[in-house]
Order: sequence, then structure tokens, then C-alpha cells
Amino acid sequence: MTGSDPSARQQHLAALLSRVALGDTAAFEALYRSTSAHLLGLILRIQPDRALAEDVLQEVYVNIWRAAQSFNPALSQASTWLNSVARNRAIDSLRRRQADVATVSHVTHGDDDEETDMLSAMPSNDPGPLDLLEQASSAMALQGCMDNLSRDQRQSIALAYYQGLSHNEVADQLRQPLGTVKSWVRRGLQSLKNCLERASLALS
Amino acid sequence: MDYSRPELADRLAAEYVLGTLRGPARRRFDTLLPAHPTLRAAVLDWQRRVDALSVSVPEVTPSPQVWPRIRARVMGATVQPVVRWWQRLVLWQAAAGMAAVAALSLAIVLQMPTPQPPPIVVVLAAQPDAAQGGIQPVSFVAGVAPDGRSLVVKPLDAQQARFVNRALELWAVPPKGAPRSLGLIAAEGSTTVQRALALKDTAAFAVSVEPPGGSPTGAPTGPIISVGALQL
Repeated sequence: MTGSDPSARQQHLAALLSRVALGDTAAFEALYRSTSAHLLGLILRIQPDRALAEDVLQEVYVNIWRAAQSFNPALSQASTWLNSVARNRAIDSLRRRQADVATVSHVTHGDDDEETDMLSAMPSNDPGPLDLLEQASSAMALQGCMDNLSRDQRQSIALAYYQGLSHNEVADQLRQPLGTVKSWVRRGLQSLKNCLERASLALS
Repeated sequence: MDYSRPELADRLAAEYVLGTLRGPARRRFDTLLPAHPTLRAAVLDWQRRVDALSVSVPEVTPSPQVWPRIRARVMGATVQPVVRWWQRLVLWQAAAGMAAVAALSLAIVLQMPTPQPPPIVVVLAAQPDAAQGGIQPVSFVAGVAPDGRSLVVKPLDAQQARFVNRALELWAVPPKGAPRSLGLIAAEGSTTVQRALALKDTAAFAVSVEPPGGSPTGAPTGPIISVGALQL
């Protein structure tokens, strides 16, 4: 599926999922071909080890195969459902990860070797979380609502979403107290929610 | 904690979806989800909101060995094809008159301002031969949208349509050549098949019994339990 019409793509994915729910293997393969590169991209943001990320991807599709019946097109878009399965699995794969894990966007002027090691674990030319947030902010679904957030709020949310960091990890990264970071995340999300709700009211 | 409190449900759902809810709290949330409609609704709302962030994430094509591993996990043993049953299609067409094989065009006679082209209804008659293999023959009715883009298939006698560890696959049979799979259909209840041009070059529809996951070869492998000729 290479069509550029987003709603046609959603319908296509939903139709594939409904056939997967019946155990249709041809539909399952078509779904994999159509969505796996995007899901692996999402997983790699959270689980940067390529081999582990591909293990997660495998689990994700086995999960999709088994849970396709629970997808309800009246409640969510097909791609949102698929992305959520992938991110959930990727976050679960981090359970044993150390809380003080370093990330590429954390550019310190300390140990050079450490920086090199961290970079080798990530895809090359990987954009940082704030770059990605910037690019996503123009997405129609966000209605310009990201602009209402403070820079600290945006940065905390970007690190959590695009880097898979926990509150503790975001606090370490930004060198801020945990409570401060928690409140940035909470208020940032609340502001996003309020803005999106206002925007959808204005449309209706 | 009282998870039915909307504000708490909303805050936890937001952290769950963003990914900052971790460890035992995340696992507890996972186990609570199935039983708490308020939490589930809040999670769906947050997934919808936050998902817009995913658009900018660069795609990464998985290594070629990932798909075979997934396929092996979900589809156990494959079954070799045995019969090329569609070669007997000519016989079915000859027998169409005697069986309850009927293709009807139903004109919608409702007084509509703009007349709609009528849907095409095909009855797929149960094939008694299939019973020899210990399989219960089932009749289906198929309604095809006039543009051939979608098709609704439903068993006529749902209560007897039970196929344990078997899948039912729907085929569009052309006048010449091999049938095309239109995908798997449910043995009970109706299935909507979205497939462009289901009618194009189609002489009949047929339902075969296949291993779970559908025909491993792309051609029907199991007994045909139901056939209906298409007369436009």
C-alpha cells in the first residue's frame, strides 16, 4: 500500500486486520509488508539494540495475529492500534534496562569513548527527539497544539515518547529534580489534551 | 486506588500511553485494563492524541529473516495441495440447474430519487460430495456490490457450520484458468470482503475447506463445500 490518502490507507489496514482476525495468512503478510518498517522505526527509538528490536518486532506481529479480533475500527484507527501494540512491547522489553542508560541526544563533553559506543547502537543520522517532535508538530492531528507547551514540557514529552525514557531517566537527562519533570510531563500532556479538545469542538 | 475515578484514570492512561508509567505500576495497569472500561476508554483517547507524534519517526526496513520467523510462529505445519478441483468447474455449471444454485439479480424497487444499480445476490449451494469426507456441506449467500468492490458472504445455516481447526476460503472462479482467492470467511456470521473487482472475469464463487491460515499454495487444496455460478 503506497497510497497517499490517509483515510484510504486506514481503511486498507482495517480491512487487512479484519481478515487477519479470521486467520487469513495472505492478509497477514500484506499487513506485515505494509507496516513493519514503520513499526520497527518506532521500536528502535525505544529499544536501540537492532537485534533486540527485531525480536520485539517478531513478538509484535505474533501479538497482532492473535489479538486482531480485538481491534475495533469504531474505537481507533488501524495504524494507531498497530503503533500502540509496538510501543507497548518495546517498553516492556526495557524492563531490565538500567535506569541510568545514556542516550544519543545527551551530548556531554566527557568521555569520548562512551559517546562513540552509544552512537554505534543507534541507526546512523538518527534525528534527536526534539527534531522529531518539531516535525510531528505540523501533523494535522496535532492542530498546532504543541506550540502551547513550554520548551521544558515539550522536551520532557519528546524524550519520553521518542527515546522511551522513564520519568527518572528524563530527570537524569535534563538534570532536574524528578518531581519537576513529572509535573512538566503531566502539565504538558494536560495542555495538549485541552487544546485538542478545544480544536475538535471548534470543528464540530 | 480507585481506578474508576476519571481524573486518576486519565492521568495514569496518559503516562501509560506516553510510556513513562513503568515497572510494577505498568504491569498492574496492564492487568487492570481488561476489567476497567473507564481506563480502557482513557487509554484509547490518549493513544489517539499521542499517536500523531509517530508520523515523524523514520522507517527502518526489518532484516529479511524476520518475516519467516514470524510466519513459522503463527502458521504451524503447511499442507501440500492435493486436488485441482476447479478443473471440474464445467461440470458444476452443467449441474447448476438441478441444484439450488441460483443467481438472482435483485432490483431495489424502493422509490429512490436516484436509482441505484442493484446488488447481485449469489446462492452458493452446499455440495453433497463434501459430506463423504466427513465435512458438513454448507450453503452460503453472497451479496456483491454492483461495482464488484465489496462482497458480503454469510452461511445460510449458521448453527451447523462448525469447522474446528479449519478455515473457509472464498474463491472467485474465472471461466478459464485458476481461481483467485478472495480471502478467508467466517463459518458463522457474515464476512465482508473488500476486494477490488470481485466480479471481473468471475464465472462462479466457491468455498473450500483449508488448513488454518488459508490455502498454503494460493490455490484451493481442500474439499469444495459450496458453489454458486454468477449470471450477470
